[in-house]
Formats: sequence, structure tokens, C-alpha cells
Amino acid sequence: MKKTAKIKWADFNKEIADDNYYYLRSCIRQNFFPGSEKAFLDILRHNLHKTIFDDASHTTCAGIGYHADIVTFETLQTIAARHFSLMNERGIPSAVVSCITSFGIYSEILATWEEFPEEKEKIRAYLKKATGREFEVPENVVHSCDIIYKFRNEIAAQMKSPLINQKTGKPLKIVDHIGCHYSKMFPERGVGGAEFPKVLTGMITAWGGETVDYPERRHCCGFGFRQYLVKSNRSYPMSNSKKKFESMAPYKPDAILANCPGCTMFFDRWQYTLGQIEGKTYGEDGNGIPVLTYEELAGLVLGYDPWKLGMQLHQVDVEPFLDKMGVQYNPDDKYKGLNGKYINQPDFSGCLKV
Amino acid sequence: MPGELYERISQDIRFTEGLTACMNCGICTAICPAAEFYDYDPRSIVTTVQSGDEKTLKDLLESETIWYCGQCMSCKTRCPRGNCPGQVIQVLRKVSQETGAFTKSRKGRQQLLIKDTVGKNILKYGYCIYPATAYPEKHPEQGTVWKWVFENSHEVYASVGGNYQGKGPGTLRKIPREALDELHRIFEYTGGINLFNKIEEHSRKKALELGFRKENADPDMEVYTRFVENEQ
Amino acid sequence: MMNKPRHIAVIGGGIAGMETASRLAQAGYKITLIEKERITGGHLTQWSHLFPDSSDPAIVVSRLSSALSHQNIKVITSTEITDISKNGQYFNLKSGSEMSLNADAIVVTSGFHLFDASRKEEYGYGLFDNVLTSADLELMMKNEKPIRTASGKKPRRIAIIHCVGSRDAKAGNTYCSKVCCITGIKQAIELNKRLPECEIFCFYMDLRLYGSSFDGLYLTAQQKHKVQFIRGRLSEAAEKPDKSLQIKAEDTLSGRPLRMDVDMIILLVGMEPGISHNNFSRNGSVQLDENGFLKCKDVHAARNLTTQTGIFMAGTCICPMSVSETLENARSAALEVINYFERKM
Repeated sequence: MKKTAKIKWADFNKEIADDNYYYLRSCIRQNFFPGSEKAFLDILRHNLHKTIFDDASHTTCAGIGYHADIVTFETLQTIAARHFSLMNERGIPSAVVSCITSFGIYSEILATWEEFPEEKEKIRAYLKKATGREFEVPENVVHSCDIIYKFRNEIAAQMKSPLINQKTGKPLKIVDHIGCHYSKMFPERGVGGAEFPKVLTGMITAWGGETVDYPERRHCCGFGFRQYLVKSNRSYPMSNSKKKFESMAPYKPDAILANCPGCTMFFDRWQYTLGQIEGKTYGEDGNGIPVLTYEELAGLVLGYDPWKLGMQLHQVDVEPFLDKMGVQYNPDDKYKGLNGKYINQPDFSGCLKV
Repeated sequence: MPGELYERISQDIRFTEGLTACMNCGICTAICPAAEFYDYDPRSIVTTVQSGDEKTLKDLLESETIWYCGQCMSCKTRCPRGNCPGQVIQVLRKVSQETGAFTKSRKGRQQLLIKDTVGKNILKYGYCIYPATAYPEKHPEQGTVWKWVFENSHEVYASVGGNYQGKGPGTLRKIPREALDELHRIFEYTGGINLFNKIEEHSRKKALELGFRKENADPDMEVYTRFVENEQ
Repeated sequence: MMNKPRHIAVIGGGIAGMETASRLAQAGYKITLIEKERITGGHLTQWSHLFPDSSDPAIVVSRLSSALSHQNIKVITSTEITDISKNGQYFNLKSGSEMSLNADAIVVTSGFHLFDASRKEEYGYGLFDNVLTSADLELMMKNEKPIRTASGKKPRRIAIIHCVGSRDAKAGNTYCSKVCCITGIKQAIELNKRLPECEIFCFYMDLRLYGSSFDGLYLTAQQKHKVQFIRGRLSEAAEKPDKSLQIKAEDTLSGRPLRMDVDMIILLVGMEPGISHNNFSRNGSVQLDENGFLKCKDVHAARNLTTQTGIFMAGTCICPMSVSETLENARSAALEVINYFERKM
């Protein structure tokens, strides 16, 4: 049994590479928050002047399959090894992972290889046999929210709209939700450890907002992999998310900020579903609580157009939050395609059909 | 008495990583989302596995219980011995699928559905989740906005800088042929395809056992799939 | 007898050091007792009641203090020993560049320090207003302050949490601190005396009641003081809008997760090796055991002997101990020192 070093996690900072990254995309985010990954690259390149390589050749990490138990650990490790090999080919030492479950998987694999070097050799042989590739472990593997956290003050310096309610002049109240696989398995891989990671609250406060603690803050969103993927199991994820909404609602948060693709999507969708089933909403005036990715929040702070950030893909309307922030946007452009082309629009948005 | 099943379970390195020896404090069950929702107790699963008893393990592998965990791994954060009951569950599920025990439980049988959706997406597109297969009728919770995205996917993704099914890098790009071929070979050489086949093979047996049979005496997997989807 | 009285340095003026010093002084040795704090008495000066008899720790401390007023004893306070070295037949002790003294033998009685409960972040000590440690509660009772929540209300429900920082690889301590279980029961009884309307719950993993009278106290707590015992370790505490606390544990005897709202939490913090141990072990003069306490030469035959001849030890620098055990252990250390010099003659 390994004893943990006697550290105060609140003071803990992990190593986050400064520049020259290899981007590993997320399946869920590409589907549901495509604008966030685009914004991440734009912020890095144009606002922070960093180099990041976006490779067509990487694939899914198969993490959803792995945690739904249809993908073996050996397959999972070999896919990761292939990604490391792609990085080696480009000579890029630092990986930035867009998905929390992928990040958790890379963390698990690296920890396994450290403890069982023979497992790494086994995978080396698998990869060689399957693809002819060789690989070395990257120097630094972080989540993309770590990068935004690291440069939060640089972003603050370019801020166009701080997280201040323009009507009241008070800081906007934002609750955070950290994806379970960010650091619950490996506290040393999260900024601030496992219990109270600072990675999102650090952004919120750096940009003028206020963070709120709530009793079920550390509870899982309820994704549960197989518990969501199979339709007849979906009361499990919904009831877990509901537990969280009930717990945060009394604090009247202006938004939820999450760092996990699944959590962000589920908080958005379950508020709609609960609205449809129970007629109950958790935000103000029959709205849900807007759920944001950290790139969306950074993008808004930096003055990006909310529709270019893809915020029209949210089910819960984000406009109340944009209005509080004083973000300029054209409501008529919300559902327009490229070059203003009309491409239909949803039957309705929000949690309830008004 | 520890027997063949315990042997199999303990050979998985995740079992070595996930379980040192449990002292039954219940700190895992206390915050387990599945324990709050189902009649589920990760602590007692670990105690059962720790006992190594062959008959009890067999029952466990055939039970609904092992399919309740959501693999959030919150248990690992808190365990005072650094154990991870969620990892123990992963190993149990693996052995349950390899031995066919999973078809004995309603929740276990659902593995076929996951293999046929996520598994298929991975091999066909190189993504676990893919816009073209996230059907709104199968996902009513995805709401009206998703329905709009689904029905206008190319235009919507293009409007936010995506590269849906396009060449080169970018959001939802088409994974290049060579990359997809490598992914396939990885699945082949590392036992990935083998696991898919096992799930299929045992499910076919179960379909026959339940009488889902086509005229040519083959199992009727379409009917069986619908049965598994709707089983309560 | 000796020509020149032997000089022994006792490091640490808690009850172990006080008892060792006075016993050795009575046997004719010259003693220098060095204490890093302003006064002697150690942790006991902050304590309100002793188990198992609810007696006042001040009685123990004052008896030991008067025994220190002996012509052979010199007490130096506000001085921390930072270095020990062997210089021929003497030991040299230094406190930075301020002080240096030679001694024929040393008894280390540097004690313990309390586990820093803020390291168990999931319990919210230092974050949430109504999360206290057992030490905070003792001090509150000692100062005869009424037991109230941070907002001044009478608590209606209190949870006492066992094993905080003990038997916990995550906190870096895998050993049992031994005295917390009985301390929890003692504190539960004292709370019930002061707040008869308040429900009191003890969340434990194993009740380790090793003293002959401890189980009797457990019975009294249940029967007379209506303290409820739940077998399950606390997983997390979270603060609610009204500053009450939501806690999550498993009732392992019924196998179900349990969630409860309480007005106050008392964390039974365990003993960790004193910080100053590092000062002594740095240059290899003494060794530490796997838990960071001072290592003894032989766990059965030579409990008061460190791995360095001439350096002895007593009390909670060896392992967690109760007050009575510490005092016994100090007397046994004194005997070992006397034997050492008699054999040397």
C-alpha cells in the first residue's frame, strides 16, 4: 500500500508545459461543443501566441468504450501508444488532451507503466506488430483546461468583458463542476488535487467572477458510461444530475462551468429533460442555468462572438448570461449557417416550450 | 476456495492496482453515485471478491450487481488504503464477458447494445460518438437543439469552424484511411476484436436459448436486440 | 557513587519530559530540561478532561511542575534543540547559534503534534465554520465556553468523526493513534452533559477501546448519554447554505449509504511524530521507524532505547500513548538511564 506524501493539496500545482503542444481531441466535444475546440486553438494561437499542432491522424482514445467495458485495457493502451508515436514523429513533447475521460485514461496508463514496466513493454510489442510504430512517453500530458488556467492572467490582461453583472456591478456567481476523471483517480494530476481543484475557480476569479461552493459540488454528474449509453438506464444519470441542480439552485448561480465534455453536455440536456418531465427549471424566469465550457467562458471574456463559439448548440439558452455580462451579439444570427445562410432552426430552445 | 475464476480475476493488473486489502470502512459506498441510486454496495463487492470463493464469484459474475457501477472512480479518491473498487468492477465485467456470464443478467445483456453502437462507431468512424449515429429518436433527452444539429449537421458544424467528414485536421474530420487501418489492426492484435466476438457469440447463444430464432435456425439478433433494449 | 554528578539533557517539557527529569533528579543526576514553548506541560495545558475518570489535567501538570522545582533540575524554555552531535564521550546539543550544551546522556521526550485536519480536505476543516477538531473542543470546554455553532446557536446534532489522519494511507499515516476512540467517547459524554437535547453520533470504523475501563465508558455513553454509534467512516462533509453540514458515510452494518445533516462536526485528530524529530534524525544520530516516530532498539526488551547508545526516549515520540502510559513510560526511561550509568561505572 502506497502512502501519500503529506501534502496540502490546496497548495499543490502540477507541471504544465509552456508552449509547443500536440492536441488530442474529444469525441463528445466534437459532437456537442465543436466551437469550443476551435476556440481553444484560436485562443492559444491568436491570443496567447502559442504553437499547437492539430493532427488529422489521431483517433478516438476509445475511452467511452473502455469505461463501458467493451474495449480491453490492452487495446486502450495500444491506441494511446499510437498517439504518443504520432507525437514522437512530429517531435512534440507535450500533449494537451481535450477530453476528461481521455485525460484520465492517459493518466491511468502512465501510472500503470510506471508501476508495471513489463506492461509497457507488452504494449510496445503490440503497437509494433499492429502498426510497425515505436513510441516514447511524452514529457508532459495535461488537460486543455490546465492550459487555460495556466494563462488565465494573460487572458485577463486582454479582457473585453469581465465576469461582472453589468446591471448590478457585482461579480457573476459561477458554480464549477470538475469531471471525475480529471483528478479523482490521480490527485497529483490535477491543479489543486482531487477534492477542491482550483483549475476552474482560478479562471473564474481571475476574470472577475465569484465562485460558489455547494454541498453536492464533488458529486458525479452521473454519466456512468453504460448508465447513459443504454437508453433504459438513463434514469441513473438524470437523477444524479438532478441531485446536483437541487443542491446548487439555492445559491442562484448565473452559470455552471465544467471542464468535462460529458458533464457539460449532460447538465445542459438534463435540465431540458427535467423541464419536460417535471416542468421544473433551475434558473431564473423559467430558464435553466446556462452551462459553459471553459473555452466558451474564456472566449466571451476575450470578446469572441457567442455564435462563433457555438453557444447556439446549447439546449439551455445562454442569452441571460450573455446579457448579464453585457456581451454584444445579434439574436438574429443565432441559427445562421456560413455566410449568414438560413439553415432552419430548432423547434424551440430552453427547457420549456413557451 | 480460490479457484479458476479468482485466478483469472487476479491475473489482471488492474486487480493488483485496484485492491490491496479492504478494511470494510464503507468510505466508498458513502459517496458512490450508484449506491445512492441502486441497491448497490461497492464495499461488499470488494469483500466478496476478497473472499476468493469460487461459487460466490460465479454468482457475482452472473449478477445484475456488477453492472450498476458508473466508473466515475470517486471511490478511489477516498479509500484510506488506496483501493479502487471501480477498477475491481472493470475486471469482473471483463471476466463476465469472456466467460459468457454477462448474458445471465438483464443489465449484463446490454453489453451487446454498447458493442453495436460505440464499438461500431469506433471501428467505422474512429470516434466513440458520431453525429450521424446519435439518432434523436434514440436520444430524446438530447432535446430540440440536437435534433436541429442532427438534421442540418454539415451546415451547423461548418458555421462553427468544424470540418465534418472533411479532409485534413479539425473538428469531426474524416479520420484518414491509414489511421483507421492502424486502429483496426490494433483492435485485432490486442484482443479488441476478440472481445467483440465473444460478446456477439454469447449473445447469440442467449438469443437461441430465449427462442429468438430465424427460419434457418440462426439466432434472430434483431429481435433479440429489441428485447434487450426494452427489457425491464 | 559518582565523583561528579552525571549531566542528562531532557529534550521536551511535556509530561514525559517532566516525569523523566524529576525521577532522574531524585536519583541524583543533574538535569537540563529544554522546552521549545514558553511553559512546560505540553499538550495537557490545552486539555479539559482526562479519560477515563474525567479528571482535570491541570492536577497532573501541577504535580509534575512542583516536582521540577528540584535543585538538580535546570529548566530552559522557549528553546528548540536543532542539532545533536556526539563529541567524544559527550553529546553536544545546539539551539541554532544561541545555545550549546554538553551532556553525558540525552532523553528525547519531544512528543507528538496533532494531525493537521486541513490536510483531510474532504472534511472541510478551515473551510467550513462548524467543523472543529477534538483539540478545539477541549480548549472550548477548558475555557468554559458554551458549545455553540459559529453563528451562536445551540447545536441540535453533532457528529464525532473517528480516525481523522489515522489508519489512512491517503493522509500518509497507516497506524492507529489509539487514544482517539476513547477520547471521542469521553467528548461525546461531556457534550451530552452540556447539551442534553443534542443528538450525538460517533462515526467509527473499529472501536479500539483497549483500556480496562474503556468499554465501561462506551456502555455509559450509550446507556446514560444516548450517544449513537454508526459503523462507517466519514467520506465527506459539505457546507449547506445555512452553514449546517451535510455528511456522507456508509452505515456498514446495514450496507446502505447514509447522508445526514448535522450542526457541528468534531474531528478526532490523531498523533503524528513531532516535527522536531527531523532535527534529531538528520545527522543519523537516531533513526525513525516506518511511521516517522523514533525507532527503538528492541520493541520488547528496550523500548526506551533509541538506535544510538546514550540517547534514550520516552512518551509519545515513540508512538501514540495516553497520559497514564506516557507517565509510566517516562519512569521506565528514567530506570533505563540509571541502569546505563551504573553499568558504565
